Amino acid sequence: MSFSPLATPTGFLLPSVHSAPPFFTQQPHPGTNATVQDHWITLILGYARHRKLFVLRVEDAEATDSEWLEVFRNERINRKLLPSYLFSILATMVSKNVAIYEPPGQTRSVLLYWRLPEEWAEVLHQWAISTGQLNTILTFYEITDPPIPSPLSNIPVTLLRKAIAILAKTGRSQLITIADGEGVRLFQGTGK
Amino acid sequence: MGASQSTPKITAQDRAILDLKLQRDKLKQYQKKIQVVLEREHAIARTHLATGDKDRAVIALRRRKYQQSLLVKTDGQLETLEELVSTIEFSLVEVSVLHGLKQGNEVLKEIHKEMSIESVEKLMDETQEAREYQREIGELLANNLTADEEDAVQEELRQLQAEALQGEASQVELPSVPTHDPIPEHIAEPQPTQNEERERVPVAA
Repeated sequence: MSFSPLATPTGFLLPSVHSAPPFFTQQPHPGTNATVQDHWITLILGYARHRKLFVLRVEDAEATDSEWLEVFRNERINRKLLPSYLFSILATMVSKNVAIYEPPGQTRSVLLYWRLPEEWAEVLHQWAISTGQLNTILTFYEITDPPIPSPLSNIPVTLLRKAIAILAKTGRSQLITIADGEGVRLFQGTGK
Repeated sequence: MGASQSTPKITAQDRAILDLKLQRDKLKQYQKKIQVVLEREHAIARTHLATGDKDRAVIALRRRKYQQSLLVKTDGQLETLEELVSTIEFSLVEVSVLHGLKQGNEVLKEIHKEMSIESVEKLMDETQEAREYQREIGELLANNLTADEEDAVQEELRQLQAEALQGEASQVELPSVPTHDPIPEHIAEPQPTQNEERERVPVAA
């Protein structure tokens, strides 16, 4: 049994611990469990960052068309992550504030924070400056689906709203609502 | 510190622009949907052909053609909308430029009020008077100096005139330029006589 980092077809480097069968079993001992879950969390966030995935659901562990198959299954050692284990990993992530239950009120689906909302706020502001779109009215669709792919492409609206709210605190954004929908206007803001 | 103070007020124009942009987004999403339908119909037509079902394939292709025409129409409408949005944004820019010009003009007017033509003329006249006054004083001072040294200057003038007279007198004593080479006669003659005298002496003895 040789443990080594393995590159997946999408170009993501899986850590060597991924090749160890015990990695996929929920450990009874709390200390080991905490350590192994930490490894899973780092792996999940890293993969989400690589593939730009925002949502993780308990079903993704066993769904055959899931985006996460490369991570949650290891065919070579014939192991896969059970949904129950993923459920407990999700709970740990939420408690560590690297994910939130989205939509709120349920515990089966989370929004991943491989980038914190504060960081997203800065990315949004920087993107507006670099595309010359400061002081112009933007719709949410313009931001999540720009003609030129940006770091913000496909960002969930919930996360976008949080980023806008953070920018509003420093006077750099303004939410505009009309009957048909919502928009936002971004400003340079005072240099701080 | 209210929240609306750091950000400009939302005007009705802003809402209108947002509305236009939302309509534009709806069109774009519609186009995307049609594109998906197009591809699906294309795939369906192919499968039908593979099974040998020509009629069904033709029907699928006809549907696809119709969707394509819809797509072209929405393209045209999208262009119109986007043009309108651009024009509005441009006119907003123009308005702010005009506003800036107006403000600049007002500032200039204020400055000009302080600096009226009459006051400038008066200032120029006063400086002229001051310069005249300065010139007079300068001449006075200049005259003063020449009055003091007038005697010294007169004295110097007399000296120079005297020197000039003496110069004329001493000019006669100057020797004339020689016309031939100097003759060394007086110097050469004593020597041969000395030799002759020496020769005579030994013979006599």
